[in-house]
Amino acid sequence: MVLATLTAGASFLLTRIHDLVILQFIIGVFLTLFGVRWLGKAVARGAGLKKLHDETAEFAALQARADIHDVRAAWLIAFNGMLLEGLEVWLIVVTLGVQTGHLTSAAGAALAALAVVAGAGFSLRRPLSKVPENSIKFTVSAALLSFGTYWILEALGYHWPLGDAALLALFGLYVMGGLGLIRLYNPRQAAMKVI
Amino acid sequence: MQGFFKTLFGDKRTLAVAGLSILVTLGVLHSPAASMAGLALPLCLVAGAAYLAKH
Repeated sequence: MVLATLTAGASFLLTRIHDLVILQFIIGVFLTLFGVRWLGKAVARGAGLKKLHDETAEFAALQARADIHDVRAAWLIAFNGMLLEGLEVWLIVVTLGVQTGHLTSAAGAALAALAVVAGAGFSLRRPLSKVPENSIKFTVSAALLSFGTYWILEALGYHWPLGDAALLALFGLYVMGGLGLIRLYNPRQAAMKVI
Repeated sequence: MQGFFKTLFGDKRTLAVAGLSILVTLGVLHSPAASMAGLALPLCLVAGAAYLAKH
């Protein structure tokens, strides 16, 4: 319901923005906001400044609260997860779909991607569950920041010397920067071991 | 509602980091060192991540 309302509202607003540069800037800022927050948390957890995220413990703690019943705890966790992931899909589908005038195609592509991701997640769940959650978040944050930086600067009129290949350079820079920060905050730990 | 806005935009510190980084980049972009803007924004954001990790 929340996502449906957001999608309808955003579609209305975005159809009134006809300049792709403005959209690039808005999406770039959103990606940067998500990315820098995740990178900060991943660095803090990697350096031991913050406890590693434990979803099982989090669920148990939520269940233990006397004022929250099991059903409500499960609903809260599912709602938070769905809202965050749904928002990312919403941003991509609505902005690209509305601007290109192919909203149905964009929504269809999102559904196809959902099927692929669900299939891959199901078949690769065992090896993927062995990858530490913080490593995944660290990598995703570097990717989000790379796209965010690329789009913000392009929208501001900057010409990337390497073109689209600059994305790879940005990704490398954020990964190296994050690993450097982990070493800086906790010199005793090898960064490669803790993310 | 507050939780929803925090999910969408982040907290005040995250907003400040992103806002300041973009402002610094805008300054660099309109200076004689405009070609360095591609380096300025990532460096500001890494510095911002360092700040967020500590707070």
